[in-house]
Amino acid sequence: MSADTLNLAAEGGGGLFTPGGPGFEAPSVGIFFPSPWSWGDYSEALPYTSGITKYAVLLVVATALVAFFLWWTTRKLAIVPSRKQSIFEIVVLFIRDQISRPMIGVKGDRYLPLLVSLFLFIFAMNIMGLIPFLQLPVTSNLSYPVGLAAVVYITFIAVGIRTHGFGRYFKSAVVPSGAPAWILPLLVPIEILSNFIIRPATHAIRLFATMFAGHLLLATFAAGGWYMFNPSAGPLYGTISVLFSGSALLAFIIFTAFELVIMFLQAFVFTLLAALYIGQAQEAH
Amino acid sequence: MEGSLNVIGYGISVIGAGIGVGIVFGLGMQAIARQPEARGPLQTNIYIGFALIEALALLGFVLAFALG
Repeated sequence: MSADTLNLAAEGGGGLFTPGGPGFEAPSVGIFFPSPWSWGDYSEALPYTSGITKYAVLLVVATALVAFFLWWTTRKLAIVPSRKQSIFEIVVLFIRDQISRPMIGVKGDRYLPLLVSLFLFIFAMNIMGLIPFLQLPVTSNLSYPVGLAAVVYITFIAVGIRTHGFGRYFKSAVVPSGAPAWILPLLVPIEILSNFIIRPATHAIRLFATMFAGHLLLATFAAGGWYMFNPSAGPLYGTISVLFSGSALLAFIIFTAFELVIMFLQAFVFTLLAALYIGQAQEAH
Repeated sequence: MEGSLNVIGYGISVIGAGIGVGIVFGLGMQAIARQPEARGPLQTNIYIGFALIEALALLGFVLAFALG
């Protein structure tokens, strides 16, 4: 629940069983468009940007978090790892054994720095949605996943061109091998569409939409629970409303735990697909 | 009655993706049960299939908001 949702919920608090009280207003998409920070006369956004919003601040926090983690765990590298270093080694080995080796092979170890940074950065950006008082996943704004997906897009095309040469790479990516010639006019446009247009789009939208949906779900539970909390509505109705809002709180806690799993899974899936695309570009023949 | 047709459209679009994710995980579990030592690569492939199918449901979700 972001600060905006808190305000929204506070307005409708205790509306249930209040005669003529305010109706329930579910959290709208507006919670994903925080107003930019303003100072003095410069109240409007910076030119060509949407200003310094909560997203930008949380992005800096997430970057600092990842940078601190990496600095802290790799400060004193040793062959026999210390406890801090072994935390880092667990992360790297997890990415290598679960993602890089199965998708790209041993040659994929050179892309390990990219994949580990992608995973840690996305996970840190997602986790911003669960830290109290911050509570807005950075990746629930489409621009951040699009930026990351663009990095992966450029990387896998560059890998393909460098491994196979310009013409051979695009030929192998666009013309499926073994297809009879008469069906090619149908297949080639589909392959172009799926490999170079839909692929980066879904890569970005997958991360964005899960974070967006999860945050909206949590905000709805929080706002709904607060709306139903009305103990001053008499003994019977007061008890019922407290029971209702208590079950909403329970669901909020359960879905927060569920959301943590989803955040990890989406960071994992984004990295996995990045490795898959790089591996396909490298293996194309 | 008030509401948005987009929500109904999203519900319909999720049926297919739900069936797909069910098949992926169900058959994945079956494969792991038949060959437990192949768990690692199977799990990776389950998650790829899950991610590709999930994109369809999420496209529906995004469009339900975008076309509103």
